[in-house]
Amino acid sequence: MRVGVIGVGCTKFGVLERTIQELAFEAVKEAVEDAGVSREDIDISVVGTSNTRGYELMPAVPINEYCGFAGKGPIRVEAACATGSAALYTAYSSIVSGMADIAIAIGVEKMTEVTTPTSLAVGGRSGSYLWEFHQYGTTFPGYYAMHASAHMAKYGTSPEQLAMVAVKNHKNAAKNPKAHFPKEITLEKAVASRYVAYPLKLFDCCPISDGASAVVLASENKIKELGKEAVWIEGIGFSSDTANVAKRGDYSGLKATVEASKMAYKMAGIEDPLKSLDVACLHDCFTIAEIMAYEDLGFCKKGEGGKFVEEGRSDFGGDIPVNTFGGLKAKGHPLGATGLAMIYEAVKQLREEAGELQVDLKNYKALTHNIGGTGHFGWVFILGV
Amino acid sequence: MFIEGRELTYKHNIPVTKVEKYWKGLEEGKIYGTECKNCGAKYSPPQADCSVCYSSDMEWIEISGEGEVVCMTEQYSFPAGFEFLNEPYVIAVAKFGDFKVIGWTKEKVFVGDKVVAETEKDETGVWKVYFKKV
Repeated sequence: MRVGVIGVGCTKFGVLERTIQELAFEAVKEAVEDAGVSREDIDISVVGTSNTRGYELMPAVPINEYCGFAGKGPIRVEAACATGSAALYTAYSSIVSGMADIAIAIGVEKMTEVTTPTSLAVGGRSGSYLWEFHQYGTTFPGYYAMHASAHMAKYGTSPEQLAMVAVKNHKNAAKNPKAHFPKEITLEKAVASRYVAYPLKLFDCCPISDGASAVVLASENKIKELGKEAVWIEGIGFSSDTANVAKRGDYSGLKATVEASKMAYKMAGIEDPLKSLDVACLHDCFTIAEIMAYEDLGFCKKGEGGKFVEEGRSDFGGDIPVNTFGGLKAKGHPLGATGLAMIYEAVKQLREEAGELQVDLKNYKALTHNIGGTGHFGWVFILGV
Repeated sequence: MFIEGRELTYKHNIPVTKVEKYWKGLEEGKIYGTECKNCGAKYSPPQADCSVCYSSDMEWIEISGEGEVVCMTEQYSFPAGFEFLNEPYVIAVAKFGDFKVIGWTKEKVFVGDKVVAETEKDETGVWKVYFKKV
């Protein structure tokens, strides 16, 4: 049974003076209105939030109630920074199982209610508390910095190439009013910024953002019955890796990306992603993450990710425009919201509703790549019309 | 407008009974991993149970000798709980034969550097691994 996206919503990302349920409400309202169905038509809600920084420790029910879905779920899911993708999969599965005709996936995160040291500690504790954070004070910038150190040593990837990812994504975010940082930056400024976790600098890192996004899915029969146009979920891939960084085989890529993309490409019948896809949303929480993703998704050979961005192949007019709305780097990265914000972006692109940020469509296919932790979770979706 | 939430402190009591040898070993300058006696799977950090074959018959293996740094970072931002540090701190992963170990270093190391591992207690009383360049 095919499942299609019929509605999408996304708030502005940034430091937002809203509670978690108020934030979710904004995205849900936009998604339900976009779907053109009534709230009562939705059979089940899935609430995705990691919410390790929030004051409401079990927020699914308060969110569900505020969005008008009391009695319809909620199923709460958590997959760190890939929570939104896990929520989408859960909503998708509820339809494929026959239990629901229309389902909503809600992704939301409030990250700015605590201090930066608290936020860093909460993130750092999310790999393996006992064996890593407890002793060594690991943080998520630190984990990606470790991967960057390995990638740079093995392939000669340069600080300038890392910064080029940030420059590209900020350039796109400048045209996205929903971005946390809707402004351009220069390569010089990015390269000259202070270290957060060597070799990563301030402009290699995504901001700490609040935000919410929501996606309404429906079965093919329901979509026909409603007489709607949908963006179809054509491929799904998922994988994961060890919690402990010391138990990984290699640090110059993410195995979870490789495995998830293989599964998604197979399901969608994609052999050469660059030939089949028009646009991609990649998980660029840190600049090195986007470079590793080009390689692990098969956009270029292993080790050539730095060159891929340097040659403009991931920019508008290149082989495949990547992170056209600004990416996590400049649009922001509210953990639970990110995966569904990628679906929002992919749907806007495939419906040709992306305005100034619209890409040229040949195949009408888009990819989203959402990672939790440093490949602790990996999700890839292929969407098409 | 904001209101301040009530404070909540977590201070966990963490059971390390099944891997006590590792934590005691650090106090004696030793670093241990485990190897499954049934299937040979190796674990660092150590596990009391084998995730591969589900056996719980494990052997403790001391990790020693010369290792090679496979990835590293120098942290310039301090997470809550590490306010006692005044200087950026280096975290590295080094490979010792079949085992990889995470540790701090007292000097900056880079990928490919050869190191030996020692143990020491930090200012908060937590024992950990420190790598020293050879």
